[in-house]
Amino acid sequence: MSEQIENEETRTGLEETVPVDTTGETVPVDTAGKGAATNGANGAVALEPSVVNRAMWRHLITLQWSWNYERMQALGYLYSMLPVIDAVYKTREERIAAMKRHLVFYNTNPQVGSPPIFGATVALEAQREGEVVDSLKVGLMGPLAGIGDTIQAILYRPIVAVIAASLALAGSVLGPIIMFLSGILWTILMIPLFRLGYRQGINVTQEVTEGGVLSRITDMATTMGMIVIGGFIPSIMAAVKTPLKYAQTVTANGQTHTETVALQSVLDKIVPYILPVAFVALAYWLMRGLKLSAVWTLIILAVLAFVLSLIGFL
Amino acid sequence: MGGYSVGIALLLAVWAYVGIVLQLGPGLWWTEALISGFVTGVIVGNIPLGLTIGATLTLLSLGLWTYGGATIPDFQTGAIVGTAIGALAGGVGPGLAVAIPTALLMTQMDVLGRAVTTIFIHGADRYAEDGNERGVVAMHLLGQLPWGLSRFIPVFLAIWLGSGPIQSVIKSSPQWFFNGMTAVGHVLPALGFALLLTMLPLRRYWPYLLIGFVAFAYLNMPIIGIAILAVAVGFLMNSLQTRRGEVNV
Repeated sequence: MSEQIENEETRTGLEETVPVDTTGETVPVDTAGKGAATNGANGAVALEPSVVNRAMWRHLITLQWSWNYERMQALGYLYSMLPVIDAVYKTREERIAAMKRHLVFYNTNPQVGSPPIFGATVALEAQREGEVVDSLKVGLMGPLAGIGDTIQAILYRPIVAVIAASLALAGSVLGPIIMFLSGILWTILMIPLFRLGYRQGINVTQEVTEGGVLSRITDMATTMGMIVIGGFIPSIMAAVKTPLKYAQTVTANGQTHTETVALQSVLDKIVPYILPVAFVALAYWLMRGLKLSAVWTLIILAVLAFVLSLIGFL
Repeated sequence: MGGYSVGIALLLAVWAYVGIVLQLGPGLWWTEALISGFVTGVIVGNIPLGLTIGATLTLLSLGLWTYGGATIPDFQTGAIVGTAIGALAGGVGPGLAVAIPTALLMTQMDVLGRAVTTIFIHGADRYAEDGNERGVVAMHLLGQLPWGLSRFIPVFLAIWLGSGPIQSVIKSSPQWFFNGMTAVGHVLPALGFALLLTMLPLRRYWPYLLIGFVAFAYLNMPIIGIAILAVAVGFLMNSLQTRRGEVNV
């Protein structure tokens, strides 16, 4: 809250220092329809492929560059749509109206969610269906944020990250390379998703809301993710071991003598890698059971590990 | 003892700027701690350290995501500053001792960057009202400045001015402190795994967790083997479900 107030106060001052090109105050009307051919009485136009591509690349490369607390991805969406607006709307008034429509709040998953929405709305703008565009954006940004964030943040990224990080911990440069290539692959995926939306137009809503295929993919990825995590908890945290030893009196053949036993070897006989599992379980309980935030859990884990190291347990 | 040159500080600051802006744009993942730590390792000439610090931070961020524009610890900046200073101050323990607090403190800069950008949407409102498309375009493209600078400036200052003093503080710290930080580094991936598990339907899928655990802990299967096993089981369960569906219908 406080930063919003502060932001309001500083706004006017900063705005004047921003070097903005104001020479293009009037948009030349005669460029209207340059990238499009009119057909039909309602003014629906067939967009030139170059206009569609320009819009797609703008969306792909810059969607969130102006992300802000107030309207989030709205300005990025408008910027991406501008080539289409220029091609479809002929009068200055129509363009202003279209621009203002796209300046309303918009936020969704940028890589899985937004490309199909954007593709569909490009197709709909070409049919001059402004109202449909607005309701489609509002209707789909929520569901696609949910689906997109789940696929990206809970399944794809963690699986890649765990594999890449374990390679990196073993000293292999392959780790960051795998991460790098996976990031590129995820970005490239935005192209077919945009095309899908553009082809489907208004029908994209059905694809999302029925979601049979999507839920199957999510199911499958969750299964894979679980197995990978199960294997990676012990492998990545293998260094979490106790060096503690204790002396034990053993009686053998009537003779008693003491021998040193490593606590870790005793633990390993019960369940191997029990300490890594215990720490994950503790962190899980702190967040699920005690409802602590991730940052507090991080601090508690760090202090605990530090203290355990001081007393010689870790 | 000395710190880094202005050139290195600038280079790392530019790397941080480009990383965050491209994360907003195409989303190339250059902000991932593993990538930003590795690149920093290349720049400061200590690749193994960059790999270790980057991988540790990536693992503890496993379940973290900016849901709806939430602010999370900035492990990109943490990895850059931690790797650069760790390379001077003697390794993973000191590096993590710098990286983790940096990542937590940087959340304030993230909030600031996200808030200041609001200026540009109001500018865009005005230009749109006038039908000035070039103004709208400029507002959008300039929106990257608060985002990029909120990383550029802290990284530059920390590396250029900070590395000397931070390094001497670290050098005068006792050995038990670094042992402690190394232990912290080993334990913290637990946070990433736990976070991830809180978001997955554990109640329904826990058996798969055990399959993975058994494969590694008892069968000593290498990680790639476990990944292949996971793909096989995933598709197997999918086709079993499909078949069951057909029988039921």
